Amino acid sequence: MINFTINNQPVTAVKGETILQAARKAGFYIPTMCYLEKTMPCASCRLCVVETNVTDGFILSCQTPPTQGLAVTIDSDRLQTERTNIMRMYDVNHPLECGVCDKSGACDLQNKTLEFHIDAQHFTAKEQPRKIEHWGLINYDPSLCILCEKCVHVCNEIIGDDAITLQFGGYKSAVIPKNSEKLDCTFCGECIAVCPVGALVSSDFQYSANSWELSPVPATCAHCSAGCSLTYEVKHTSIATGSEERIYRVTNNFEYATLCGAGRFGFDYDIQASKDEAAFNKAVSALGNAKAIRFSSLITNEEALILQRLKETLGLKLFNEEARAYQSFMRAYGSISGKGAFGGTLDAISQSDAIIVLGGRITTDNPVVRYAMTTAARHNGAKVIYMHPIEDALLQNVVTQFVKYEAGSEEGVMAMLAKTLLADADIGDEFRAFFDGLDEGYLCAESNAGDEEFVRIEKSLRRAKRKTLVIGSDVLNHGRAENIARLAALIETYTDFSLVVVPQTANTIGVSLVCDLDRDENTAGVVGYNAEGEFVIGSFGNYDLAVPALNSQEGTFVSINHQVLPINVAIGFEGYCLNDIANALGLRRVNTVDYTALLPKEKGFNATPFDQLENFYGSLGEDNRGYMLENSEVEVNGTLETIETLPEFNGTVIYRCNPVNQFNAYTGRTAQLERDPALRGSAQFAAAARISDGDQVEIESNGTVHVRTFILDGELKGTIALSPTYDTEFGAMGENYRFEKIKIMRVGS
Amino acid sequence: MNTEPFNDRNVNELSAYYYVDIENYPVTAWDKFKQVVKRSLKGELFVGLWVVLREMIKFDIHTVQYPKEKLPIGPRYRAVHKLLRLWESGFERCIGCGLCEKICISDCIRMDTRIDENSRKEVTEYSINLGRCIFCGYCAEVCPELAIVHGGRYENASEQRAHFVIKDDMLTPLDFLTAGQQEEYPGFGAITPHEDERVTKTPLAY
Repeated sequence: MINFTINNQPVTAVKGETILQAARKAGFYIPTMCYLEKTMPCASCRLCVVETNVTDGFILSCQTPPTQGLAVTIDSDRLQTERTNIMRMYDVNHPLECGVCDKSGACDLQNKTLEFHIDAQHFTAKEQPRKIEHWGLINYDPSLCILCEKCVHVCNEIIGDDAITLQFGGYKSAVIPKNSEKLDCTFCGECIAVCPVGALVSSDFQYSANSWELSPVPATCAHCSAGCSLTYEVKHTSIATGSEERIYRVTNNFEYATLCGAGRFGFDYDIQASKDEAAFNKAVSALGNAKAIRFSSLITNEEALILQRLKETLGLKLFNEEARAYQSFMRAYGSISGKGAFGGTLDAISQSDAIIVLGGRITTDNPVVRYAMTTAARHNGAKVIYMHPIEDALLQNVVTQFVKYEAGSEEGVMAMLAKTLLADADIGDEFRAFFDGLDEGYLCAESNAGDEEFVRIEKSLRRAKRKTLVIGSDVLNHGRAENIARLAALIETYTDFSLVVVPQTANTIGVSLVCDLDRDENTAGVVGYNAEGEFVIGSFGNYDLAVPALNSQEGTFVSINHQVLPINVAIGFEGYCLNDIANALGLRRVNTVDYTALLPKEKGFNATPFDQLENFYGSLGEDNRGYMLENSEVEVNGTLETIETLPEFNGTVIYRCNPVNQFNAYTGRTAQLERDPALRGSAQFAAAARISDGDQVEIESNGTVHVRTFILDGELKGTIALSPTYDTEFGAMGENYRFEKIKIMRVGS
Repeated sequence: MNTEPFNDRNVNELSAYYYVDIENYPVTAWDKFKQVVKRSLKGELFVGLWVVLREMIKFDIHTVQYPKEKLPIGPRYRAVHKLLRLWESGFERCIGCGLCEKICISDCIRMDTRIDENSRKEVTEYSINLGRCIFCGYCAEVCPELAIVHGGRYENASEQRAHFVIKDDMLTPLDFLTAGQQEEYPGFGAITPHEDERVTKTPLAY
């Protein structure tokens, strides 16, 4: 604890805090223009200057930590003059187009200009020729830019795209794409969010509405398991009376949270339907006569609970292989660790100084995990070890060691990794005997991950203090997933690693906690809920009865942080929902969210009713979103099984993996997100499959045939091609192992 | 004025008050009959009729021939809105800032905007619900471009309560503008006279 004073008032700061942070915590106001809590200080605006008793000049409070007994003044006349002059400079030649600017009404420059009473320009500067840039989803107007560098910092430090940079040139300075003519990035749009003025704007939103006309609907992103907070901003479609509302844009609390492009630009996936009684009655009778319900994890906890109650009252079976795989993975994990849920969180990743990622294409599976890894790498200099059969170009700025292994050999790699990490741990004789008995030569040779790689991992982890192991979703559907789970649990239990498992779908964790799932036996009489079935109830795919999409629903998700997060209705829905069907079948609840308080307590849910769930970040970043699940304790009775013969994947192999910003059938039908459902492979793959760039190819897997365009991707290496799934009927990644040997042939040959 | 004679309320030589000479009311039926005959046939009726006849012959009629003819409306009168154009280029003055929409206390203004081909904000639709409008003039006052003003058209008769004017109704037609028939609005929300002299110019000494 450091005690110092601000304006003669005693203030305390913890070690590592800056004067600005301590002042804000204590309720003092220091104006800033370029400060972002989640990045390192940009120190470009110099508005946060303060005076102290030990320095002659001004110091920047955003990057200076206080010392014991320091006396800080934050609002002397000298400081006020300095800040006013800075604001005068900001306003020089700033276009007087507040009338049309998208930022007007929510603009930092506007606010500060009024705060410092700048009403005239007394300086002169020759205006430079500046061209408005159109970078796809993002438009950039350099004449509005105040060069605060927030966008550059966030792109580099948090996102990891490192796609924009500042072109220095005095008054001619501007933000430009880094190392390329056009902006080449993952279009997360975080630069738009942090821009304090209207320089970087969403091209879709630009000039379509004013910030004060939009009504905010705080909710949670439904695209991946990260459960990011976002706000839908809603307004009527046009001036016509009775025109429906639509979502104009999505904003986020960029100060403390990050949102990927799918969350920010993929918001218009709602559907409309009327109360179609005939279809409703069919749905009720279909469910009444059904033997089982097959459903996807793209549903809320409440819907999952309704399905579970339907199972109990009607004696149905519930099929969801993807969530069941997660369930059995976590059960195996608990049999070693004694806990129901893994201990790591996204925050743990971003605070780590060593991260191992195994078995998942993290950049597209869960971008927020990637952002946390980037943050760790940039802020803590974290060692990032990425273990996967396919190298990921998006991670090249972050990864310190890439370990390539053969597809299918995850069990062997995991065993080798566990042996490396547990070398000095006190794991007991039984486990030690298991590791001593490993046939290292075979495992390294077959998995192609050499033992020198593990020596290097051991070396680079030696100094690390906060370590995280991230397990991707390849492993969840691996034939030997349970043994891998036990190995991961061993690492978490006996080392200081914390474990994060990345589930495939937005609410896999919630579904796995709420539902008792049965093995999918492909029987007759299956009703699909957002999934394949004889009668399909859903909001995507070929449904027979429409139910609201996830931006038209109230409910909760369980995120990767094991946090129960509320979602809200952005766009109204006129048709029926699952609760109506359940009521017709004998359950009795007025609203779907009446089930929120009934979520199973033994799985860690508490009985908070939906209407009492908050959804916001406090002014100092306090997370007031929903509530944290309690981690339940389970019996420890697991033992390791011998490593099986590692399977071989030869010939033409595809990896089911969606392109950037695509996750599911919802993102697949939004207007702004790029749709490119091509099969992407390297030249090596093309040679092996005897196809070339631009060919239409037939891919035969599991007896079904898809036709896709093949695109030769120069960034890819190796013999495995990437095959998207978001454009298939239900957009699901599927319950099978993500690598698959397929038959491929050119259409017409 | 000397009010002295009015102070003494008694009727006498000095006061200004006197008794009005009123005939006694007729009592008998015969007297009443005589009074009616006398009043009816005295000819006073024709004195008034003569005035009408005289003015008719002179053809100097002061009646406003509404609706063919309308009285001029004062410049500050707030009737149905107009959207003006820029004098030189003929472009619409409205930039779509949405301030009129925001300030409207009866919430009767709505507009649709979009980004046009030249990356400028374009107002595609603009409507005022005259059924709700209370003609307070705030929209004209808040308009930074003097684009929306109140015109002189005050007839709002409509078959429906919700009676809208849309952009085409309010915007000065181009031929009107070229003929110089767009009137600058001197009323509510207009810039004050001699504003030019009060403007401080941004220094451009390069």
